[in-house]
Order: sequence, then structure tokens, then C-alpha cells
Amino acid sequence: MKIETRKFGKIEIDEQKTLFMPEGLPGFPGFERFILIEDPKSAPFCWFQSLQEPNLSLVVMSPFLFKADYEIDLEGFVASRGWKGVKVEDLLIYVVINVFEGEKDKKITANLMGPIVINLKNNEAIQVIISNSTYSHQYNVLEPS
Amino acid sequence: MLVLTRKAGEKIKIGDNVVVNILSIEGGTVKIGIDAPREVNILRMEVLEQIQNENIAAASKDVTQISAAADLFKKKLSNEKEVREKKD
Repeated sequence: MKIETRKFGKIEIDEQKTLFMPEGLPGFPGFERFILIEDPKSAPFCWFQSLQEPNLSLVVMSPFLFKADYEIDLEGFVASRGWKGVKVEDLLIYVVINVFEGEKDKKITANLMGPIVINLKNNEAIQVIISNSTYSHQYNVLEPS
Repeated sequence: MLVLTRKAGEKIKIGDNVVVNILSIEGGTVKIGIDAPREVNILRMEVLEQIQNENIAAASKDVTQISAAADLFKKKLSNEKEVREKKD
């Protein structure tokens, strides 16, 4: 299927890879269908693109590329969603990325408090909010690991 | 909005499965215990607002800005690799 995006114009996507957010995306009520777009120019960052609104596209990234020991309770999460037969290997984790242009240097931050968990078995995506951890919502990605 | 007055040790029931306990009140702080099924999401409001704000900010970036950030990130990774190789 073809979708309209502001950043990449009209693009062809694999319908099998479209994602459904049953609980929506905080900050953007009413938008439930998304797709992950990988663009060589912005890799390792990806775009979490809305299928409903060409202008809605968030920057996301795998947290393990800059924080190898990032950990959330995936087993507990799978159990709380009632996802039967879903293993941790069936899940992808992305975190929302922000870029701040400072006077001298640029800052890249990641929201480790609100990872987006994608279930490859049913193509659902949920932004999980972890409030009982010490993870920051503006973790410095450029900090030496 | 429904407004109720409660004392420490008293409870409020919401729907069939949620009970809010007022555990203690000290100074300006109220300690609350919540019994709810695990599928009920309970959040501090300011945490949800932080997540919303990060999402909204992340949706305002363009490709040029992000490819510049990607270069910066890749540079950081290769610097770290160099440091590791020097150590070995």
C-alpha cells in the first residue's frame, strides 16, 4: 500500500508491517496506526510514522545502541497485556529521541521512561510508561557508555 | 469533579476492582495505597505529561536535523571504539 508522508513524500509500505496502538500515542489522541520507517540518511534513528497523518512522525531508536544494559520488565509486561504465547524475542523496543540545538553543541536525548514496545506476533505497539525506575525521560545519548 | 473528604485509614472504591486507601497525611503530603488489577494503568500525572511532551517534541524534527544527529552519534561510537582499541 502507498502512504503519504511529509518527510518522504508518497512511499510504498508493506501492509504486513503496519502497527496498531490500541492505547494510542500519548500527546496524539486519535492516532492509532503507524509504521516504522528506516531511512539510510537518518540511521540509526528511525521514524515512527502515522498512517493517518502525513505530518505525524516521531524520531525513535533502539535503546541498546547507546545503553546496552537498558532493562524493562518485559515478562511482566507481556503477562499484564494478556499476550499468550508471546516471548521476549517477539518484541522490539524503541525509545523516543529528541535533538536540542544548543548554542555550542547539539544534545541528543532519549526517553527511557516511555519505551515503545512492538509485538511482532500481533503487530501491536504500546508506549509503556515506567514510573518506578530511575530512568530519565531525557537520557543523554552522547554520554560515554 | 466529585469531591470527597476522607481521613487517614479511610478508603474509596472506584468501579468494581479499584480501592484507594488513604494511608497517612503528614504536612502537605498524602500517602495513598491503591489496590487495582494489574492491567489497570496507574501513573503519576506529571510522568504522563513528560512522556506526552517528549513525543510532541520528537514529532517536530526534520530529516536534515536527524541526519546531522546521526553523524554525531556515529562519531561518538567510532571514538569509543578507538579508545577501546588503544586499551587492548
